[in-house]
Amino acid sequence: MENTTIFLCEDSLDGILTGVYDAWDSRLGHKNVRLETRAESNLELFCEYRDVERDLAKAEKVLNTVRKRMGEEGEEAVCYAAACTDRRKADAIYRIIVLGLHLKNGRDAVNCLQNEDVALVMKLRQKAWHEAHRMMGFVRFEELQNGILYSQIQPAYDVLSLMAPHFEDRYRQENWIIHDIRRRQMAIHRKEYPWVLADAEMLNPDYKKYYSDQEDEFQQLWKSFCKSIAIEERRNPRCQQSLLPLRFRSCMTEFIVDK
Amino acid sequence: MQVRVPENLTLMEKLNILSDAAKYDVACTSSGVNRSNTGRGIGNCIEAGICHSFSADGRCISLLKILFTNECIYNCRYCLNRVSNDVPRATFTPQEICDLVIGFYRRNYIEGLFLSSGILKNPNYTMELLYQTLFKLRTEYHFGGYIHVKAIPGADERLIERTGYLADRMSVNLELPTAEGLKTLAPNKSRKKILTPMRQVQMRMEENRNELTLYRNAPRFVPAGQSTQMIIGATPENDFQIVSVAEALYKKFELKRVFYSAFVRVNEDSLLPALPGGPPLLREHRLYQADWLLRFYGFEAKELLSEEKPNFNVLLDPKCDWALRHLELFPVEINRAEYGMLLRVPGIGVRSANRIAKARRMGTLDFADLKRMGVVLKRALYFITCKGRTMYPIKVEEDYITRNLLNVKERLPFELGQDITYRQLSLFDDMHLTKETG
Repeated sequence: MENTTIFLCEDSLDGILTGVYDAWDSRLGHKNVRLETRAESNLELFCEYRDVERDLAKAEKVLNTVRKRMGEEGEEAVCYAAACTDRRKADAIYRIIVLGLHLKNGRDAVNCLQNEDVALVMKLRQKAWHEAHRMMGFVRFEELQNGILYSQIQPAYDVLSLMAPHFEDRYRQENWIIHDIRRRQMAIHRKEYPWVLADAEMLNPDYKKYYSDQEDEFQQLWKSFCKSIAIEERRNPRCQQSLLPLRFRSCMTEFIVDK
Repeated sequence: MQVRVPENLTLMEKLNILSDAAKYDVACTSSGVNRSNTGRGIGNCIEAGICHSFSADGRCISLLKILFTNECIYNCRYCLNRVSNDVPRATFTPQEICDLVIGFYRRNYIEGLFLSSGILKNPNYTMELLYQTLFKLRTEYHFGGYIHVKAIPGADERLIERTGYLADRMSVNLELPTAEGLKTLAPNKSRKKILTPMRQVQMRMEENRNELTLYRNAPRFVPAGQSTQMIIGATPENDFQIVSVAEALYKKFELKRVFYSAFVRVNEDSLLPALPGGPPLLREHRLYQADWLLRFYGFEAKELLSEEKPNFNVLLDPKCDWALRHLELFPVEINRAEYGMLLRVPGIGVRSANRIAKARRMGTLDFADLKRMGVVLKRALYFITCKGRTMYPIKVEEDYITRNLLNVKERLPFELGQDITYRQLSLFDDMHLTKETG
């Protein structure tokens, strides 16, 4: 029996896609290779390990191929699944791409839910999509004195780059920052420019102490609106909590109690 | 009625009064239209809609839901803002609404505006104010977010049309399911007056579709369609009547949505029913389930209910109930059944039916695959086979399946959902019926 070669890649979309490129390029045969992300990897016996260096050019090539052969749906599935936290995600992404490139019509790959890897990728895609979609609603901006809109989030998955394009379109004429405090990353948008991903270390920690003059008034208006819009006779905190779990609330204006 | 002298209320006080007054309107969806930023201002819309928060009653907050004014010349018995009630009154100015919308929208609190209104002076005057507000938002602030606005029955056709070009969704509330109900509880409104603007919006939307096929950049009229709502449980209609009305609205008026609102008794009035058990929430829930069956599952009202059986089963959802009455059609073979039939299997929803239809082209499916696809097997297993076999030996027999289905806890969005499974042994006890018909 041949040894399995495990490709250890960085836990990010580009990292995994580079892994896909290297694993394929190694010509060891699909069944003799496995992809794992560094964060979740646990060393195994009788395996050869190869470290994968993130390479944007390789990742770009893989993603272009996926888009061309597996369609937009395939691309979306790969991108969203990579944002999740799951031990098997890197390998499942590799397998769905292998399947997609082998099928006559690669667009059918996402439909093969009988295949466990495809089913996993599609499940992860759904989870990440849901998280990103929720975050699009739950992000709360605060206006700083210089007019910049600043927001903190702590999503369960790495969805910052999946939701930033939405805000780029929505607030095209605004300067804004979305700060993922869990992953120490932020999306920065300058008026009329494309958004960029940046390391949050760059941020001046005193930044958010200086709110604009109107900020407090709007926060109070919003809080009081959220209270008055509820119908007392239909009160149902359990339903509220299942739709808006507590983990989101620490970053949401209407749930932060005034000091 | 004389127009009250507006007191000097702060923006906060006005917002409190006018959002409190608007909360009984159900619709808060921001779906149905995709529009990217125009490049001049703020805002876009996405087809699926976005929920921005959830209030303490578990309802989604997507739009800034307010009345323009709660000063109303009408005296509808079920309404908090009727003219004979002594409640604090307030009226916004278009400028105040614009400030609120833009301020909230910039902070990503909301997806847009839901603007309704009491009738100030007369319908035309009110509609004109709504139009002015929308005009200011769209042209001065270049607001590209979602706007849902009420068409005021009795207002001038041209005013409604002009407003429709600025809004994404328009709605006229049917208020009560039948004309008789409306007559007793809302003496100033009539069925005809309500249906006229509804028909007008429908016709204009159809013309607009034709214009858009010719000229891609023609202005769009109510692109997210129109909706309506009716109050459930204030008048003695049965479920069959209500579902039939909804079906007619979908078919004849091409409505996008019909909303149902469990009656909340806010006024002391001899003509209103007393509701000792609170608002009829379970009934409202069953109506929404049936509504989904009408819109997405290819059911017709007369399949779900009939004159002889005019109300929904309290213990089983309408789809299970239908399936149990049509056991001759089951079990269906997952790998071969038509899509339309898949949709009718309890435990299979639109999403899982789509997945099945696509996946089975790539190879046969088994129960484990169905589970992964999101089929609720504990409900579906009595109605399906995979490769000619049922999941385990079952009797295709109404009593047996009913008993087993009742053991499956139905996920109800309300606290009262618990009672049902708790009381499952008292199958034909009508304890919940009293709660409903009050």
